[in-house]
Amino acid sequence: MDELLRDFLTETTEHIEGAETQLVHFERNPSDASLISSIFRLVHTIKGTSSFLGLERLERVGHAAESVMGMLRDGVPPTQHSVTIILAAIDRIKTIIEEIGQHGGEPPGDDSEIINALEAYYAAGAEAATAAASVEANVELAAPQVAESAPSAEPEPVAAPAAVAAEAPKAEKAPAQQEQPGPAAKQEGTQGTQAKTAANPNQETIRVSVDTIERMMQLVSELVLSRNQLLELARHREDDAIKTPLQHLSTLTSDLQDAVMRARMQPVGRLYANLPRLVRELSTSLGKNIDLVTEGADTELDRQLIEVIRDPLTHLIRNCADHGIERPEERLASGKPERGEIRVSAAHEAGQITIDIADDGKGLDIERIKAKITSQGLATEQDLRSMSNEEIYRYIFEPGFSTAQVVSNVSGRGVGMDVVRSNIEAIGGSVSLSSAPGKGSRFSLRIPLTLAIAPALIIEVAGQRFALPQTSVVEAVSLGKNYKDLIQNVQNALVLKLREEVIPAVELRDVVGFSAASENEEAEKLAVVMRVGTDSFCIIVDGVADIQEIVVKPLSASLSHLKVFSGHTILGDGSVVLILDPAGIGANLGIEKSTEKKRTDLRDQGALERRRLVMFRAGPGAPKVLPLSLVSRIEMVETSRIESSDGRLMVLLQGRLMPIVPISHHIDMSKPSYPVLVIATEKRSIGLMTEEIVDILEEKLEIQLASANSDIVGSAEIRGEAVELLDVSHFIRMADPPTSTGTSPQRVLFAADDQLVRDMLCPALAAAGYNLSAAAIPADINELVGQFSAYDAVIVDFDAPAFALPGALAALRDRKNASLVPIVGVATHPTTRAAHKATDNGLVALLSKHDRQSLLETLAFALDAAADAKASSMELAA
Amino acid sequence: MSSMSAAVQMVSDVPTAGEESYFTVFAGGEAFGLSVLQAQTIFRITSVTPIPLGPADIVGLVNLRGKIVTAVSLRRRLGIPMDDVQNALAIGIEHKGENFALIVDEVGDVLTLDPSMKVQIPAHFDPARSRLMTGLYKVGNLLIPALNIGALFDFTN
Repeated sequence: MDELLRDFLTETTEHIEGAETQLVHFERNPSDASLISSIFRLVHTIKGTSSFLGLERLERVGHAAESVMGMLRDGVPPTQHSVTIILAAIDRIKTIIEEIGQHGGEPPGDDSEIINALEAYYAAGAEAATAAASVEANVELAAPQVAESAPSAEPEPVAAPAAVAAEAPKAEKAPAQQEQPGPAAKQEGTQGTQAKTAANPNQETIRVSVDTIERMMQLVSELVLSRNQLLELARHREDDAIKTPLQHLSTLTSDLQDAVMRARMQPVGRLYANLPRLVRELSTSLGKNIDLVTEGADTELDRQLIEVIRDPLTHLIRNCADHGIERPEERLASGKPERGEIRVSAAHEAGQITIDIADDGKGLDIERIKAKITSQGLATEQDLRSMSNEEIYRYIFEPGFSTAQVVSNVSGRGVGMDVVRSNIEAIGGSVSLSSAPGKGSRFSLRIPLTLAIAPALIIEVAGQRFALPQTSVVEAVSLGKNYKDLIQNVQNALVLKLREEVIPAVELRDVVGFSAASENEEAEKLAVVMRVGTDSFCIIVDGVADIQEIVVKPLSASLSHLKVFSGHTILGDGSVVLILDPAGIGANLGIEKSTEKKRTDLRDQGALERRRLVMFRAGPGAPKVLPLSLVSRIEMVETSRIESSDGRLMVLLQGRLMPIVPISHHIDMSKPSYPVLVIATEKRSIGLMTEEIVDILEEKLEIQLASANSDIVGSAEIRGEAVELLDVSHFIRMADPPTSTGTSPQRVLFAADDQLVRDMLCPALAAAGYNLSAAAIPADINELVGQFSAYDAVIVDFDAPAFALPGALAALRDRKNASLVPIVGVATHPTTRAAHKATDNGLVALLSKHDRQSLLETLAFALDAAADAKASSMELAA
Repeated sequence: MSSMSAAVQMVSDVPTAGEESYFTVFAGGEAFGLSVLQAQTIFRITSVTPIPLGPADIVGLVNLRGKIVTAVSLRRRLGIPMDDVQNALAIGIEHKGENFALIVDEVGDVLTLDPSMKVQIPAHFDPARSRLMTGLYKVGNLLIPALNIGALFDFTN
């Protein structure tokens, strides 16, 4: 095909997506003419270029569309009719372009309907247009049949004088102008133009064919494999000369891998591009008023995944519009705003993308669902009684399940949801759903970031190794001697007692069908806790051999029926291992339909934990919250007992003087007593004075709006209300300003992956005056160790899976800065044995994560000792 | 009967019209013909990763120069017990986009078989076996079945 033609087709196609969105937005905001500038340019360019290329149909349709677009641009208010016919014209343009793409030339066809509709509208002119706006006919979207004035025979617009005068000079300028749409060239697959932001003309981009990127991806995958092999070989040789260049090569390979991955990433906004139009059409055909809000359009996702998600996303939105959002009358009757809202948001979360589709409609009707479940024989009434609401909701993903009374044209055929789930699961993701009756529903899609290369835990069982994708691993619990306490057999099934929760457990040996051969009962086993969607379970293995980045190769066709495996790969040492599929193992356990006692709190890698919070009022504005774990106790303090000294308030409590910090300056002191939240810090307790305790609740705390003020961490929404999360460190500092020692605060590195650990300990450390930095724990401990010299002390989360590796402890023990930078370890259950292991390898101590006091004391002690050591070594040197 | 001991490139006879070249492969003392056009390489298996829960006839996965191939035992396919797979001889075959390795006891000479040598597969042959054959050929005094690759690697029970 002619290159000029090909370029024209590609650019026009890209442009059209953005144009549709703009048009729909413009319909809502007719005062903002800039919104349609892009569409006007589009049809203008099409008209011009197609004439140049000899594409007659395009030229005629483009011309007619441009006339109407001109009217809109000149200030004629858009009507549902005019927008509809322009969308129809854009559709026709799309079809013609597609056909040109396939056949190399314009196929014959009749566009007179559309052209007539456009011209008639244009001919009616400005005044008639405003008149028509009040006599809006509801036009069918499928075939724009216009019941308007007689079609004019000629393609030339017969027009009102004012409009013609404006048009003529433009028509003449058209051939000369030949505007190029948007920036001259774009990288293939980047940015569908968004309605609000025009394409950035300052960004330099080039077009690259998809095949080239795929090839690069393949080559990089093979490179990673070779790199792994080299590393493996080097590990067994004592060749120092090779180590440095090899390390360099390794870093370069990782960087290259990153760069190529990024080249394949596209913003999720691409998926959003045609949603406004979809929602508009749904609104029209269902007779409901629906607003679409999209968030996180910048979140990037691998190309391949975007296409896979497209259909499920569309289906879920249709579902929300059809079954979720109520008709306007119903909404008004129940006190909701007449316009319903569907909100699509995308965000990054530790190796995954979450895409939420939420509506504020009537939520899922649990009784209807239960009825359907029993009538279809999927479960008995008794089963249902012991299930949580969430487990029941999940049945809507079963094939053939649909509770729509009337199978509407839009959805309800019962084939949609199960396809959504299987499509998402096929790429290693998961779908979950929550709902509140009368309030709305939310579907969450979780999708792993990349398909091809992923970090994996190499675990061993019965002498054979398997790979486990690290993204689904939450933590590893060493069982050892405590096996009998931690693992219990309940109702013929194993469970793991993890802190306060009970998690389903299974021996991996059993999952893969190994015989329970002569086992070394003394052998220390490991329980690897995994998470699939919102479910957690753990597999019991013999140990973790390694953490490696693996190139995931899908299972061959003959093996694809095995659900517990998702693929295979070649490790650095050349051996082939199977990759376990967490979803498959979970399904094996019957996790989906389990009636076992399940965890009631939901843990998430993104720190969306259900926490116990105290909600209170302090001053005007939103209520405030604090995690209850930070509060020692709540005391009612009589105002009369509060004394003022040195500008600060304090009260004598239990024989000690406790500083009181009013949370808000606006608390009037006229009441007889106030509730005070007592917070224990290293030195002493301080009291935060509130006006009134509202409630103590257990909810997820998700900071939605970070605050610029130092006293508030940010805002969150709890039970429909906006609340503010207090930054307790701010108040601690106010009550007890750290005495300046004249030296700068000591720098402490806190290495942990677990958000909860960070939340528990970081505030206390910061309050104690340390300059705190946080870091995640990489697979290769040496990388972490390399950073130690920049700090005065390091705290590590000893429970992290990386420490279970053989080399990790040695790395800690053999590090160069051992005497200068002390390491303190924290663990959930610091057994004596683990503590010995820690101290044997150079850690100062292994402490409990819950014991803030000990941590602070030990840290202070270790820092003193290190300072002494430094001083004396300097003395010696001098 | 020559045995190969390393990965060897295929050398295919150029058959005249109607003739096809076959490798002779042995399993359990019996000889079979395997079309040279389908075979890509011959190698020895040094290590194999068993596939738990997989079909019994699939011995496991093997790393062949960076490619993961599915190793299938001809013996097991024929219903005879298999030897230790260590150092076994295998023929690399690609079929329907999947890479397989057929484990055999020995590889023999290349034969040229033409339709004139073909005889009817007797009705009393075990159907489990006869479905693995595309035909039976008379070579001198011997009757050599030609293996049906499609059936050999079809694991949809």
